[in-house]
Amino acid sequence: MNLNELTVTEALEGLIEGKFSSEEITKACLERISQKDPEIKAFITVIEEAALEEARKADEKISKLGKKAFVDSPLLGIPYACKDNFCTKGVKTTAGSKVLENFISPYESTVTALLKDAGAILLGKTNMDAFAHGSSTEESDFFVTKNPWDVSRVPGGSSGGSAAAVIADMCLFAIGSETGGSIRGPASWCGVTGLKPSYGRVSRYGLIAMASSTDSPGPITKTAQDSALILEVLAGKDPYDATTSPFPTEKYSLELQSDIQRIKIGRPKQYFELDLQPDVLKATEDFLEFLRENGATIVDIDLMDPKYSIAVYTVLQRAEVSSNLGRLDGIRYGNDRTSFGFEAKKRIMLGAYTLSAGYYEAYYSKAQKVRTLIIEDFNRAFSQVDVIVGPTMPCVALGIGESFSNPMFGEMIDVLSEPSTIAGLCGITIPVGVSSSLPVGAQIIGDRFKESQILRIANFYQQKTRFHLERPKK
Amino acid sequence: MSKKISSTEVAHIAQLTKLNLSENEYEKLSQMLSETLEYVAVLDELDTTSVNETFQVTGLKNVYREPNFPVKGLTQEEALQNAPITKDSKIGTKAVFGRE
Repeated sequence: MNLNELTVTEALEGLIEGKFSSEEITKACLERISQKDPEIKAFITVIEEAALEEARKADEKISKLGKKAFVDSPLLGIPYACKDNFCTKGVKTTAGSKVLENFISPYESTVTALLKDAGAILLGKTNMDAFAHGSSTEESDFFVTKNPWDVSRVPGGSSGGSAAAVIADMCLFAIGSETGGSIRGPASWCGVTGLKPSYGRVSRYGLIAMASSTDSPGPITKTAQDSALILEVLAGKDPYDATTSPFPTEKYSLELQSDIQRIKIGRPKQYFELDLQPDVLKATEDFLEFLRENGATIVDIDLMDPKYSIAVYTVLQRAEVSSNLGRLDGIRYGNDRTSFGFEAKKRIMLGAYTLSAGYYEAYYSKAQKVRTLIIEDFNRAFSQVDVIVGPTMPCVALGIGESFSNPMFGEMIDVLSEPSTIAGLCGITIPVGVSSSLPVGAQIIGDRFKESQILRIANFYQQKTRFHLERPKK
Repeated sequence: MSKKISSTEVAHIAQLTKLNLSENEYEKLSQMLSETLEYVAVLDELDTTSVNETFQVTGLKNVYREPNFPVKGLTQEEALQNAPITKDSKIGTKAVFGRE
């Protein structure tokens, strides 16, 4: 096995036992990137020299302190890829947009700062739909990332570069961000594990804002166990982001080892009645059956029709986008507003329209009220069940170019993630099946700050099945 | 409430949001934005007369930092490093006064 193919957990064990060095792992990832990325195009920027230097520093620390080196630096020597909307000091940060094509961030986002403190090594920045507006990476102002399972297909988005980099073993893990499906969608289409933490669990400081009331950074990994390790580093109150929660964090990786007896799982009828591909439906039902056979109770539940969530999400997201992208004036940094792509213009303009006098009540205020109803709906559901399980995406990865005809493509394809993101809930997608050689994902949605519960179920499944070990042909 | 956005309205919003549109984008946006508004009109099916808005889900209020919290700032050099026009350690802009 090549070192770039390791999980984070395996790599940490090997580093602690001195089986290999961080430099060797980092080199293996960089070699894989130079071999595979010309075809996949997951990365916008690769920082080879800086990564190797950090790896050598990690190795020095390990040789000096041994196992103790990992006490304060739980991800010491682990190379990762980061979505290009996290500010990384001294490294180009574009958000996939021409507006920021030459922007070198003068400061570090909290997420990348925490990873740095934990010893993780940044390999580079990954492609995304510009400003995260999209669900395929086709809206990137630079290029389309290809799905490593079938390069005629998209990886999903907006964190498509990160998901593709993980399944193609170009890194040990990656960071994405989700506003409405942008972690879970691409993770599902690329066959990896994607965790969207509860809103406020992980700091947004230094994350180029899309919709501030739903943006949630999270890990894209090879296993749920790795997700838990990364979340442990990222979760918590950040004085630089007033919306982060003081609610206590957990040692997520230590909460994994237990069975799923007595767990009550909700099966939302409305999600299964959508127009789902038959293989997606079957794989999700098989996943539920697995959980039932292993002691969980499955209960049919009612949730609001997700069509309302699509509408709420569309209005709120556009409104917040119009306000957040207002700051891009090309004076202090970046190019001027003539550099915006069509998708960004479309969203900014709809947002400005729904926020304007005369329409505010009808659209923006109305959507915020329906959001309350959606939250109440989930609260009712979580009074009956512990978690909710459903498909992650209605279909497997689409072909390049299939999304362009629909002005709300992103909202429609993310229909199964939007309700939970509007309510600020956590969710994890894991691969649970295969359809015509493409991965199928199912998601487990948890109540706010119940990350350990969804991680436990995902990990239990991965301990006993092999879908997460599947890889595309090299 | 379903509503069509005309090309004239598109031009007005573009002006407000300081966006330049190409000739063919007016018509395209008029159609796409109208379609989107038509879709979101689905919200009118729900009665929200006695429902409050949820602007944010955290429930947190009046969040302050600890006193004497060491705020990270940018050096002058860092603050200027990405500005397209700088002069005498200041950021340059187009003149605001004296324009037509």
